[in-house]
Formats: sequence, structure tokens, C-alpha cells
Amino acid sequence: MTEAGAGREEILGATDSADRTSGVPPRAGTVDGSRAAQLLERVMPGVILETREEHGELILQVDRSRLVEVCTLLSHDDGARYRLPVMVTAVDWLEREPRFDVVYELYSVDYNDRVRLVVQVPEHDPVVPTLEKVFPGMDWHERETFDLFGISFAGHHDLRRLLLPEDWEGHPLRKDYVSFGEPVAFTHNLEWALAPQDRPEQMPGSTR
Amino acid sequence: MSPRKAASQSQAEKKGESLLPEAVAGPEEIRVQQAYGDARERVGVDRDLDAVDLVEIGEDTMELNMGPQHPSTHGVLRLVLNLEGETVRECRPDIGFLHTGFEKSFESHTYQQCIPLTDRMDYLAPPINNLGFSLAAEKLLGVEVPPRGQYIRVIMAELARIGSHLIWFGTHAMDLGATTPFLYAWREREAILDINELVSGVRMMTSFIRVGGLMADVPQEFGPMIEQVLATFPKAIDEYELLITKNPIWRDRTIGLGVISAEDALAYGLTGPCLRGSGVPYDLRKARPYSSYDHFEFDVPVGSNGDVYDRYLIRMQEMRESLRIIRQAYENLPSGPVNTLDRRVARPPRNEINTSMESLIYHFKLVTEGMQVPAGQVYHAVESPRGELGFYMVSDGGNRPYRCKVRGPSFSNLAALPHMVRGELIADVVAVVGSIDITLGDVDR
Repeated sequence: MTEAGAGREEILGATDSADRTSGVPPRAGTVDGSRAAQLLERVMPGVILETREEHGELILQVDRSRLVEVCTLLSHDDGARYRLPVMVTAVDWLEREPRFDVVYELYSVDYNDRVRLVVQVPEHDPVVPTLEKVFPGMDWHERETFDLFGISFAGHHDLRRLLLPEDWEGHPLRKDYVSFGEPVAFTHNLEWALAPQDRPEQMPGSTR
Repeated sequence: MSPRKAASQSQAEKKGESLLPEAVAGPEEIRVQQAYGDARERVGVDRDLDAVDLVEIGEDTMELNMGPQHPSTHGVLRLVLNLEGETVRECRPDIGFLHTGFEKSFESHTYQQCIPLTDRMDYLAPPINNLGFSLAAEKLLGVEVPPRGQYIRVIMAELARIGSHLIWFGTHAMDLGATTPFLYAWREREAILDINELVSGVRMMTSFIRVGGLMADVPQEFGPMIEQVLATFPKAIDEYELLITKNPIWRDRTIGLGVISAEDALAYGLTGPCLRGSGVPYDLRKARPYSSYDHFEFDVPVGSNGDVYDRYLIRMQEMRESLRIIRQAYENLPSGPVNTLDRRVARPPRNEINTSMESLIYHFKLVTEGMQVPAGQVYHAVESPRGELGFYMVSDGGNRPYRCKVRGPSFSNLAALPHMVRGELIADVVAVVGSIDITLGDVDR
């Protein structure tokens, strides 16, 4: 064991390192995600429902039924290799229909390119297919999104709450979740604030 | 052959197989789940009980609860270990003890008010969190910080990186039984905290880097203190390496331990020294330079074996590289303003408020309402000591983020822990946890 590691610190500690830094490929263009968009247009025409560019990043909206297909292609195709699952999250657009954006960010180490995929899901059916079979690293990110947004990931092997306790009620990052304060009983809102069995027979301070 | 070596060999064989698609819900997994269910019934507990609850599952195996109050978990992390003798069959991390709901809090605070919240996420390197948040907001605003501000940001971020690595070094070594480095690391870190105190008035939660620039320009004493750091730290790091790097006990305990291949590391979303330890040269400061990192010459240390020892060597070398960056940034520190002159973002200087009505209005609006950020969404990532710290920010045009997701590097890195410790000895779990260098504030947010 010791022999196998001999001399390794010298290799790492060396100050010349031309090939160490040249490992980072230069960026292909100024807009992130164009590589993915071109690939998808070529191989799966029509899969991109909408393309938007914001701050030098392409946002590709795809249909949830083809999400797994799209991600498998993006991660395995030699011309793209988006192999690093950066994050999964969601955005709650309370008044919009469909209500939720599920956002996936992928990164290609080989081509130094990012891509952001967006899947829209409605409130009455907040389900997207899981990507943990494609990227094992999506596991916890999907559980976190389930925990905080209440979006289900169909096929996930262990979809439980991750950050909050098991018996927590509600999904805090939804916009209609009240995050601060607990109901305080005043005479004008006693019915709202207290369950029937907790209400006093006579209201405190009441003269009636 | 010692049991640990045998275990790591069998693990290496296991890892020769293809990457996880089958393993995630393969027959083995289902068999294990059924075994848990049977065991639960046998001891009279509900079959579908939470999978992280402790259940004894046989004569040769046992489940051990490590944490949340275990000193080697570096915070409040609970690991449920399924053991066969001393060998770890399965490890199930249980997180969330430090969940503070920062992402929800962001939505009810103005952008500048969010900066102190970011401090408390990765509490070992607060300036880098500030930097990530500020850069994301500045991208939405379309604002560029003047060169002097950018350079001071780089200096503060690299000092924070060294400070964070020093804590990692001290605690990691102490986990494995070396108590001396811990004290040395704390001694050196003091100099960095003193600089934090000088520039911001606070030693840890600095909130020094803000949207649009900095809290203030650095005072006169900043220069001599940086020079002091540049003079003493290289020697100090040599000293640490002298203590540990070639220490036979250290090498026996770390070489070949917690191996993760480059392919697996990418699939699990590992970033930072953990990914570079496996041989992938992905460093955001090189891959997509921000805050004028492209002005500086530095190397990205990359390992080859992906074990605990490689991650150790990389972080030690990273401290030297950070010193190189600080030296260049300090020696070429431009003069000029540190804050952007954009009045939508930065407050006008004091003397202008006294003479200009317009400046007074800007000042009043900024202080009472905060800056109005144009609608849009952006993802901006910076290289934190632990990896890719990303901020996904959505604005609806108001003065508060509509949504701000923080991609904590420790979160993804910790998710790969079960993969790394499978088949290792229980005493080595602390070594692997230490080598991932998690901050629980960053995991739970």
C-alpha cells in the first residue's frame, strides 16, 4: 500500500503543471446550452417546446414525458456528455397554469457547457419522472424538491422527506405556505385560530 | 492481509462493475429492503417504519447510530451504519438537523438583507457565499464591479478558502488521531480572522462582499497584514506537510481508502477537491472565471486515485495556490472605487447626499426599498472550498428574490458518502467523512 503511494506527493506538489491546467476545455461559444439545443434538434426534433435565452444561458423547455429520454441522450452522447448533475429545483408560479417549473441544471465537463432544462407541471398532477437512473446524484436533490415543493418524482426508489421531519405538514417553499407566525387568538378571529375543542366557553375579556 | 485491505480490494472489484443504473433498485436492494422488513416484524416494529430507524437485522449484522452528536461528523450529521463485524455494509446519512429555511427567508428579504443569511450557510467560508450571491444578483442587474473591488473580493475569497482548508486540515487530522495539527491550524487561522475583523468588524460572519461591491474599501493596515500572511503561511504549510504527508500511520490509514472513480464522481455530482481527487480538472475559477480570476496565474491540483490521501494532497496544494493568487492580487491591486457607480445598486457617497437632491432620493429609495432587480432568471456558480456553490436566482422585477435556490457543494458530496464507505471499516468512516469536508450548514441550508 505504502509503495503504491510513494512519490505521489511530489507529483502533486510540483509547480510546473502545464497539462494539469490545460485539462479545462475552452468554452465553445458565448451562450451556454447551445450544444444541447443543437443535439436535441438534430436527434429528437420537436422535443424542445420553447427556447429562451437569458443572461447568456439557454433555457430549454421540454415535455415531462420525454425528460428521461432527453437526459439520457444529453449525458451519453459523445457530442454533449452533460454528465454532471448540478441541481434540481422548482419554482412556484402561483397564479400561472401550469403552476410549477421543475428546473434541471446539467454540466458537461468535457465541453465546459451548461444547460438548463425546464419542465412545467400543473398543480393537480405535480409529478415528473425520476432521473436517478441516469444520474445517481439526482437522488437527494429530488427528495429535497419533493420535501420543500411537494413535487413527486415517479419511480424514485426512496421518496421521503429529506430536510424536514417525517411528520411535517405542507411544503414550505410553495408560495401559499405561510412561513412566519402561528395563529394567535384574538376575539375577532377565535374561530379561525383555534380548533373547536380548544375554544374557551367564554371569550377572554368579553363583556357579553 | 489486513481486513481493511481485503475489504477495499473487494470494493474495488465491486466498483469495476458498470455505473449505478441497476444498482439503484436492483434485486440486491430489494432483498435488503425485505430483510429489513422481516427484521422489523421479528422485533415487533411496524414493517414500513422509516428506513433510517435502528433495527437489528441478524446475528452477524448490526445497525449502529453514529451522530448526530458525534464529534467526527463535523456538525449534526447522523449516519446509520449497517455493520457486519467491523465492516460497513451500508451507510444511510440522515440530514436536516440544521435546516434553517434560508431559501424561504430569501423570499422575504431584500437582496442586501440576504447577504448575512448567506454567511450562515457555509459558515467556514462566508465571503465565498457572499460572493456567489452577489455575482448572481449582479448578473441579473447587469452590473459590473470595478477592478479594485474585484481584486479585493478575490483576496477575501482566497483567504476564506485557506481558512476553511485549515479547519478541515486540523479536524481531519484529529479524527485520525493526530492532535497537534489541530492546534497549529487554529493558530494560523487566527491571522485570517484578524483580517476579517479589520475589514468588516466581524471575525467570522463578515458580510463584507455585497451586491454591487464591498461593504467598504480596505483600511491602511490591510497591506501589512496580508504581507504578514504571505510571509508566514508558506512556512506553516510546509510544517503541516512535514507532520502529516509522509507520516506512515497517516498514509496507511488514508491511501486506498474511500475510493471513487472519476465516472462515479461525476454521476454523483461531486465537485471541488473530491472530484479533482478522482482526476477531473474541474475548477470553476478556471472553467468559467468570475471576478477577474482569469487575471491570475495559478494551477489546479488534480489527483489520480480518488482516495482520501489524494483529497488531502489536493487541499494542501490548494492552500499554496491560494497564496499565489493572493500575492498577485495584492501586488497588482488597482486603485479606484470598490463599489459600482450604478445608482440603482450602490448608495451615493455621503457628500453627494448633502448637495444633490437626486442622490438623496436614490439613497432614500435604496435604504427603504432596496434595489429593484429586473425580471429574469440566472444560475451563477463559484468555486467554494468544497466545490461548486451555485445560486439559481429568479426575479419577478421586485426588490426581493422571487426564488433563490442554493446549490450547496457539501450536499451533493455527502450524497456520495454511502458509495465511498461501502465495504470499509467503521473506523475509516470518520476518515472518509473528514476527507469530503462537509459543512452541515451547507448541506441543510
